Amino acid sequence: MARMKFLCDADRCIDCNACVTACKSENEVPWGINRRRVVTINDGKPGERSVSMACMHCTDAPCATVCPVQCIYPTDDGIVLHNKDQCIGCGYCFYACPFGAPQYPQVGNFGTRGKMDKCTYCAGGGGSESPGSPEEYKKYGSNRFGEGKLPLCAEMCSTKSLLAGDGDIIAQLYEERVNKRGYGSGAWGWETAYHEDVKT
Amino acid sequence: MSLFARIRLVTFVLLMLGIVAAPVCGQKLGPDGAPNPDASVVNQRTLLEQAPRVEGRIDIPDVKASVLMQPAGRTWEYFHEVLLHWGGAIVILGMGALLALAYLILGRIRIAAGRSGQKVLRFRAFERFSHWLTAASFVILGLTGLNITFGKILLMPIVGPEIFSDVSQIAKYLHNFTSFAFMIGLVLIMVIFFRDNLPARVDVEWVKQGGGFTESRHAPAGRFNLGEKMVYWLSVTAGLALSVSGFMLLFPFYRTNVADIQLAQVAHAVIAVLFIALILAHIYIGTLGMEGAFEAMGTGEVDLNWAREHHDHWLAEGLGRETNRGAPAE
Amino acid sequence: MIAKVSNGVWIGQEPDYDSPINRGSHCCKGAAVRDDVLSERRLRYPVKLVGGQWIRISWETAVNEIGDKLLEIRQKSGPDSVYWLGSAKFTNEAAYLNRKLAAFWGTNNSDHQARICHSTTVTGVANTWGYGAMTNSYNDIRNSKTILLMGGNPAEAHPVSLQHILEGKELNRANMIVVDPRLTRTAAHATEYVRVRPGTHIATIYGMLWHIFENGWEDKEFLSQRVYGVDEIREQAAKWNPREVERVTGLPEAQVRRIAELFAKEKPATLIWAMGQTQFTTGTANVRASCILLLVTGNVGQPGTGANIFRGHTNVQGATDLGLDVTSLPLYYGLTEEAWRHWCRVWEVDYNWMESRFPNKLLMETPGIPSTRWFDATLLPKDQISQPNSVQAMFVMGHGVNTITRMPEAVRGMEKLELLVVCDPYPTAWSVLSERTNGTYLLPACTSFEMDGSRTASNRSLQWGEKFVEPVFESKNDYDTMYMFARKFGFADLMFKNIKVEHGAVSAEDILREINRGGWSTGYCGQSPERLKAHMRNQAKFDLVTMRAPKDDPEVGGDYYGLPWPCWGTPEFRHPGTAILYDTSLPVKDGGGTFRARFGVERIAKRKVIENGLEVEREEHDNLLAEGSYSAGSEIKDGYPEFTLGVLKKLGWDKDLTPQEMEVIRRINPTKPDAVSWSIDLSGGIQRVAIEHGCSPYGNGKARMIAWNLPDPVPVHREPIYTPRPDLVADYPTLPDAKQFRVPNIGFSVQKAAVDRGISKQFPLILSSGRLVEYEGGGEETRSNKWLAELKQHMYVEINPADAAERAIKDGGWVWVTGAENGSRARMKALVTERVGKGVAWMPFHFAGWFEGADLRAKYPKGADPIVLGESVNTLTTYGYDPATGMQEPKATLCQIIAA
Repeated sequence: MARMKFLCDADRCIDCNACVTACKSENEVPWGINRRRVVTINDGKPGERSVSMACMHCTDAPCATVCPVQCIYPTDDGIVLHNKDQCIGCGYCFYACPFGAPQYPQVGNFGTRGKMDKCTYCAGGGGSESPGSPEEYKKYGSNRFGEGKLPLCAEMCSTKSLLAGDGDIIAQLYEERVNKRGYGSGAWGWETAYHEDVKT
Repeated sequence: MSLFARIRLVTFVLLMLGIVAAPVCGQKLGPDGAPNPDASVVNQRTLLEQAPRVEGRIDIPDVKASVLMQPAGRTWEYFHEVLLHWGGAIVILGMGALLALAYLILGRIRIAAGRSGQKVLRFRAFERFSHWLTAASFVILGLTGLNITFGKILLMPIVGPEIFSDVSQIAKYLHNFTSFAFMIGLVLIMVIFFRDNLPARVDVEWVKQGGGFTESRHAPAGRFNLGEKMVYWLSVTAGLALSVSGFMLLFPFYRTNVADIQLAQVAHAVIAVLFIALILAHIYIGTLGMEGAFEAMGTGEVDLNWAREHHDHWLAEGLGRETNRGAPAE
Repeated sequence: MIAKVSNGVWIGQEPDYDSPINRGSHCCKGAAVRDDVLSERRLRYPVKLVGGQWIRISWETAVNEIGDKLLEIRQKSGPDSVYWLGSAKFTNEAAYLNRKLAAFWGTNNSDHQARICHSTTVTGVANTWGYGAMTNSYNDIRNSKTILLMGGNPAEAHPVSLQHILEGKELNRANMIVVDPRLTRTAAHATEYVRVRPGTHIATIYGMLWHIFENGWEDKEFLSQRVYGVDEIREQAAKWNPREVERVTGLPEAQVRRIAELFAKEKPATLIWAMGQTQFTTGTANVRASCILLLVTGNVGQPGTGANIFRGHTNVQGATDLGLDVTSLPLYYGLTEEAWRHWCRVWEVDYNWMESRFPNKLLMETPGIPSTRWFDATLLPKDQISQPNSVQAMFVMGHGVNTITRMPEAVRGMEKLELLVVCDPYPTAWSVLSERTNGTYLLPACTSFEMDGSRTASNRSLQWGEKFVEPVFESKNDYDTMYMFARKFGFADLMFKNIKVEHGAVSAEDILREINRGGWSTGYCGQSPERLKAHMRNQAKFDLVTMRAPKDDPEVGGDYYGLPWPCWGTPEFRHPGTAILYDTSLPVKDGGGTFRARFGVERIAKRKVIENGLEVEREEHDNLLAEGSYSAGSEIKDGYPEFTLGVLKKLGWDKDLTPQEMEVIRRINPTKPDAVSWSIDLSGGIQRVAIEHGCSPYGNGKARMIAWNLPDPVPVHREPIYTPRPDLVADYPTLPDAKQFRVPNIGFSVQKAAVDRGISKQFPLILSSGRLVEYEGGGEETRSNKWLAELKQHMYVEINPADAAERAIKDGGWVWVTGAENGSRARMKALVTERVGKGVAWMPFHFAGWFEGADLRAKYPKGADPIVLGESVNTLTTYGYDPATGMQEPKATLCQIIAA
């Protein structure tokens, strides 16, 4: 079965933030929650690269492992979802996440973070709500995946830098790109997220 | 902890402590001396070899969002889910086993001279209040803390995920707010028992006499013997460390970054486990392990003979003081 | 873009993968547009300022009160005292209607954002080879082997274009050279980055040309066949030896030589620019220099080459084309009597009536006041303004006040206005910036998503946009608003004679049809609403690189996507549009073309020559028509002038005209039908016949390196008005003071005073400005968008770490920036970064709502204040206007920064 992944080709990313606002719009993500973000390394220096980052939907997701109430789990498609009803807002998933993906509605003093929110791969939520229902949308955002669509961030990427879909296919796509153009700063986060890198 | 695990943990801590070196920017120039931005790009692997985290610039106010990657999250996960589970279980169950063994071998240490029927005031009400405030909050903190680590293994299968989630939610707040009671108690204990826990010459003798655990000998002690003093100092140290690390966790990312938080959590968990083990021993000796000890914190009064056998110097000084004040103990 | 709409509410947005231009992708603004419509910060109903308070009024009251006041001003001071400031966010139809409204009102004071964006490009480029627009397309950059970006940061200003640039770069392993004062997000992806001092573009280009001529890298055949005046450029370039180039620009010889060599030898090469060339007092000359570099290296008129000029707003290209411009009627006809007569014929109004709308014929044919100078036209004494009276009313539709330089003076200008009308989805900074307490109206306009209409992309392609949802709250679309005012002014029936209006709702399709009927000069004649809609339906059929649909398609067969202008002839003629301008490898009917014979057939130049040892002045007749170069399939195998009926007759081709076409031509000029040209022939017959014989209707001329009608016929380096190098001013001063566009331009005096007063010592940092990807234009709309506003919450200035350290400024700390004029100052955050070099400060220009340290949030109509406010860079920017277009100079001025 296909296993979904994200791959940001940093040699294409221009920090345009389309992925960020596409995510915000598609999932009606409130102010202060940044399911996806773009970070620029070596800003202003030759060698600068921007990378769009969200939940990578890791293999052996550390957030899922550390979750004290086990509300985070991978689906059959490799998408890491969580159940907000069970989340106790302890913040451990953020400490464990290599990519800074988990977000909380509140600052978090005295542990009052609220329910964790993160990228759902536009695949709805991991709770009891029926897929594609308004209740699910309200709590987790859209369920494009259920409609056979990919996350909107990748779909709207201005330079086709952010790739989403079957991990093997996007890895192959990236590999072809790198071979064609002759350079590539790597599939950012893949080693950490998936215990494997794209061979280029 | 296996040797391998130890190495991993040490490496992890070292990584955490290591200064985050600014990623070296290998700028490459074109044939004409102008920068070639494309060729100057550093591979992500190289970046991660240079520093444990990849950080950059981001314009949203959430500063922690500027950390692009921190593979250490996986290491922390390993600590939390493997090392802490096994380590915690071994330490706590180990201590239990040790105490059971002690009980089997030594049995309950009796008052050798039997009860005199005469009581001596050992702890005043306020002292007992301080102790029990700390003790009660410690138990709550310990249990709710253990729940975060072990609850999903031990409790969740029994009560089911929904109830467990509710319980854990309550436990989290209980833990976070009880911590203040604990800290108040800790400060009180620290202050009121400070003088009596300073090292004294008699402690050397106490050690020489094997702390009185060997039946035949008599171990002399002041108000607190060296064992109790150790409990005091270890508890104070651990309590302070837990408070500091707890504060960091309670106010996350207030001048701390994710590495600091991870370190704080590791410290909090490791110290807490050791602290629990220590307190288990403390409880054992104060209850099951020794006849006549519990009363000290129970009613505050101990049997004269118990005092004579375990805290002879204190008794001598104390009686003198009481006499001077002209209010003999009953 | 595809919208998901449920019960009239826009609930989601889907990528339109079939679009050949963006292939479904967006930048953050595009991905967030849903909140432009949904935003709670929109202006909900008309309001007016009464005693400093915003009072809700009805549309009817608003139109009546505003209309009465405008008519009173017109009566009292003449029509030129009302300024019609339009918008690049207009659809083509609204832009056209706005220009038409100004014409009917009787003034040429009608402008829009192109003034401050690409007015210099249009003038400079059109004066070089005929049309002032991007020659190729975003998609075509995929063919380039060398991509030179000078004065553009498309990664932040045109993000979707990077899809084509980066993919092209990857596929061809192309050179991507970025010449910019900042190491921008674009420069980060370059194969070579050249840091240059702002305002030294011409010197850099001449420096490159010096190496090209020195080494014989120029395209000699191209130059001899298709270019006029290269000798003069050789002379100029010879002065720019590497030492002089380094003295002025700071660029070492090796760099200049290498980029010159790459550009000349690794072909096809394209030159991309945006406001980094245009926003200077030398803007027109800058872009001319760029064109000259392209011509010298033969990089025009083929795939992968060309001047890829990136336009900014949604429809700044279309609004420019459709004449929201003080110098022209729609579609670059200019303001001559011939132009007016042409449009009067199209509008079916009497020319004499039109003339009567103006104070006199001279003013009717005189360019108006550029948008950059509206406040000068308000504040200056009457005798300094070449029109009957100063500007007393501003009617602003979709234009910010904070994108124009010298804001402290604009504030005073606003306070002096009798009437200020702002028609916009948001209140904009116009509503808060001044101390006005009365005579200000805000009218809620709807966004583009709430109306139908076409827009022209940077590559000249037209795209039809369908209305997604009905206008929210009480907002109205621009057509209906203008119709209401036309009715109030009493000329609605005349103005909308051929445009259907049902219950006050104006038909956008009909406006486009009217544009088609008059748009011959620029080839806006073939893009009927039906054809454009067919293109939108069939997007998937167009090729990604050529943008052409397969020939056999029943609906769009052979068309280029969006029928990029010129799309010749009537819609029925089915010209496919022109994807690449001046491409001689294709027949004109397939989108080929030649350079436009716009400047006559020959030039009589007086030259001093040595004859028998004596210097004598000789008149020489220089041929301005192409020599031995022609487009594929042309029956004339040489240069030829533009087509008129007379030319057709000479060629014997007039027989191909149908009787109906002849009839129309005769009606246009009954006395001299031979003079009727391809651009005013309403039948389209002359165009049709010329094209059927393989010829360009506009002739086959040479591109001009000498534009003898411009202030600087060949580009001359001139220091910015406020230059950090006063030592260079003696050698490279700005042009003398003169009156331009009805107002004085005293740049020379200002520059001299700045040098004499040692301004560059008090203000040692160069201040430049530019775009952020999150915001657009004045930023009112985007700063009100919750998804965008979150990403950039503060106005800031970029400052180099070395400059920051000298001033004890910390990254993220507050600073005061002071400007060189008006004692101006602004408070903002510092972003300490190596993006800018030492000595350079940079600011985004999208912020407003703070002024000189004061937060003006309370002055917005309640609930309509943008989420993010900040100081505007234009509080600090200074004097400086391009003499050819009135372009401002926000890219190079001076400032000082201190920690706050």
